[in-house]
Amino acid sequence: MNNTVNSAMLDPATGWSILALFSLVWIFLGWFWGRKAKGLDDFMLAGRNVGMALGVATAMATWVTSNTTMAAPQLAFQLGVWGMVGYSLGSIGLMLFAPLARRIRLLMPFGYTSGDFVRLRYGKTAWRVFLLISLFYAFGWLISLGMAGGVLIHALTGIPYQYGMTVILAICVLYTLLGGLRAVIGTDFIQTIIILLGIGMLCWLAITRLGFDDIHSAVAQSRPELLNLLMPAAIMFLFNNLLFGVGEIFHSNVWWSRAFAFREGVGFSAYLTAGAMWMPIPIVAGFIALAVPALGLNVPAADMVGPMVAAQLSGIAGAVLVFIVVFSALASSLDSLLAATADLILQDIYRGHLRPAAGEQELRVAAKLIILGLGLGAWLLCLPRLTTLAELLYFTGAFVASTIWPIAAGLYWRRTNAAGATLAMLLGTGVGLYSYFSIGFYVAALSGAAVSMLTVIITTWLWPADFNWQALRAETEPAA
Amino acid sequence: MMISSDVLAILVTVALVVVTLSPIVLIGLLTKDWKRGKLW
Repeated sequence: MNNTVNSAMLDPATGWSILALFSLVWIFLGWFWGRKAKGLDDFMLAGRNVGMALGVATAMATWVTSNTTMAAPQLAFQLGVWGMVGYSLGSIGLMLFAPLARRIRLLMPFGYTSGDFVRLRYGKTAWRVFLLISLFYAFGWLISLGMAGGVLIHALTGIPYQYGMTVILAICVLYTLLGGLRAVIGTDFIQTIIILLGIGMLCWLAITRLGFDDIHSAVAQSRPELLNLLMPAAIMFLFNNLLFGVGEIFHSNVWWSRAFAFREGVGFSAYLTAGAMWMPIPIVAGFIALAVPALGLNVPAADMVGPMVAAQLSGIAGAVLVFIVVFSALASSLDSLLAATADLILQDIYRGHLRPAAGEQELRVAAKLIILGLGLGAWLLCLPRLTTLAELLYFTGAFVASTIWPIAAGLYWRRTNAAGATLAMLLGTGVGLYSYFSIGFYVAALSGAAVSMLTVIITTWLWPADFNWQALRAETEPAA
Repeated sequence: MMISSDVLAILVTVALVVVTLSPIVLIGLLTKDWKRGKLW
């Protein structure tokens, strides 16, 4: 079989045409859904009235990122079966967040951000530590998405990395600016359908063209370690990824803003259903990478394995399909991240630290300027392609896993105290980073979460607080 | 210990069936929300 993918790749003109077509669609929809947004709640939280269908789809689409469609095949290529199964455990985070989403809506029906909760629950020191972690993670994710966009476009069309990355960032910034969270959630629904159909079709193609037996025997012959169920690094990765996913979801404003935006009673079912429907996606996407030995492909960079296999399997049609799927996956996460991070900066930095008395009109203008600034900042950081996608993503694992216990305990245990929560985030991050550099990326979240858990449990037991839950509602309720 | 071809086939087939049915579930939910005026 041909061992290059050049014959199956798109030419730059086709790439630009697809980009232009989808850009126009997303931007038009952004404008269309955003044109009736009146107040800040409409722009930031889609009017706090999102139903079940859009709720499930936006949770799925946001969690299906370039890291699912590109890093899942990459991880399957590097860590084998456990790589793709481990990635699918990222869905546990969505499912575990379901009861938290219900609790968040109950305790803070008028809240805006995860930062609001940490500030009111633990005070200003914990709030600032949390903001540092949260913003660092948000930028890490933004960069990973921007880079993925550039890599994908370059791998499939030959369009230079910098151009592709610029276009994807610019499109997402534009339609998020026009429509706020309503545009994000509306486009997420369409993008989810595209992603599911595209990934499903590619997997069917791999199975019908090559067959399970041929794929299995080719992997067993050339890369037997990928089928090994006792590969130690892969098993560590499995648990690490589970905790990383839980940490990402529990702390990130991307998920909190949806908990605030969903109609009352929707959050629990939406997150649970989204988790169950998301779980098989990395397995299906990852399996595509196991076709590499059977195809006789020579993969120059692990993070290109997904697009390359798809292009090899079905030529131009496969290249077009994977291009549309990954473009949708990128856009669905980038827009969510831009909107939610802008909310966090607006509410917790701008209003919380700089302009406490800012009125609604000023905040709406500031929200748009922040989205623009975020896009520009991400673009600058993406320009030099510094590291592979998975490495960049997992560097943030140490940070986010340290927030799992302070958030979960803070929502359910009134005895958890501010000092314990702050210490848990700092110690968890420190130990997680140490593990990342001294052992490997696959243990950073695991060790960070373990240290954070012990810190929260011990400090709650030794120095119990007596938090009044009513304070959360009272402090966020708008004046009559 | 290696995963067998059969177990790999079962794992991937089950995942693929869920992925294939998900768009139908989502469109069904959307239609239901739309009819009840509870889209957003």
